[in-house]
Amino acid sequence: MAMIPTGAITTHAQTLPARTRPDEGGEPPVVVFVHGLLTDSLASYYFTLGPAFAAAGIDVVMYDLRGHGRSERPRGGYHIEAFVDDLVGLLDGLDERRPVHVVGNSFGGSIAAGLAAWHPERVATVAMIEAEPPVALWTRHMADGLSDAKRQLAREEAIGWIAAHHGAHTARLSRGASRILQTTTLAEDIPASRVIDDDLSGLTCPVLAIFGDESGLAAQVPDFEAKLPRCRTVVLPEQGHSVLVERTDETRELLLGWVREHSLAGAER
Amino acid sequence: MTTEITAEISPPAADADAVLADLTGMLLTLLEEYGLDAAEIGRETTFHGDLELESIDLVTLSGALRERYGDRVNFADFIADLELDEIIELTIGQLVDHVVASLRATERS
Repeated sequence: MAMIPTGAITTHAQTLPARTRPDEGGEPPVVVFVHGLLTDSLASYYFTLGPAFAAAGIDVVMYDLRGHGRSERPRGGYHIEAFVDDLVGLLDGLDERRPVHVVGNSFGGSIAAGLAAWHPERVATVAMIEAEPPVALWTRHMADGLSDAKRQLAREEAIGWIAAHHGAHTARLSRGASRILQTTTLAEDIPASRVIDDDLSGLTCPVLAIFGDESGLAAQVPDFEAKLPRCRTVVLPEQGHSVLVERTDETRELLLGWVREHSLAGAER
Repeated sequence: MTTEITAEISPPAADADAVLADLTGMLLTLLEEYGLDAAEIGRETTFHGDLELESIDLVTLSGALRERYGDRVNFADFIADLELDEIIELTIGQLVDHVVASLRATERS
């Protein structure tokens, strides 16, 4: 377990080196996985995509977001720009100078897009799974969802209802989510985050966006395709928001293909 | 010219009781703050229901296993092959058996 100082906090990271090296002696590509909000941690990748990517000859970086997993949980400072700064601090701490392929799930995808917009020199490509880029509309979606979650999960009977309808496992995750919401300013900070322009002109690198057709987020597809010059969108049929958990194999193959395609092109990006 | 003397370091024994003792030690360290007793951990103990481990705790356990057994035991691959329900129901005994099988496989090779 590596605890890495990343500016104001200490971040828990796990790395898996590529198991094979490129034949011509160059460096392997590097992928950074960014997990989602509240009920999530790097474990979502550690036991799923991480080992497969390392086996495919890709250096893998996984880490816990501030407030999550084994990373530090400060009381405040949960604007998206703080999460992006943590990620830059992590790459610096790991002495990672290669432009990274950054893969983000849900809120992690918003961080990935933020990194690409505000630190384009650090990013080779962005892959967003069921995510929105951090535009003004996104802050409103987050404001609604987070204030609702903070209020509802504080009620013990709500946790009881979740236990009865979704099982003890989900109830425990909900309790953990509630702890973050009640002990930090996350629910207030994220809606007050820095945003990128609505025209998405800040995103200049290639972008892969994967959605489930039953989640509302797939409605962004026409917008992405109109605004992003180098964009690929994939919509998985009969699938809600939990793409990474429920469609792990398809997601892995899409992402592996994406990274391979964009690392064969070499440094010319 | 010097003669190289290679010390015979005995590998961790591939026997179930020894592995169970190893794992119990790791879990006691991991759950130190809860003041868990070694007597509370046995083959039937479940990681999730009994010990209330979260998935991030399993990442830490994976690191401890790697430290103890090196590359011969790959906990992440073991977990990756299980369905979510199986992970939730996972017992210490199942992990012990996996570790023993992995160690025996490398002893043979």
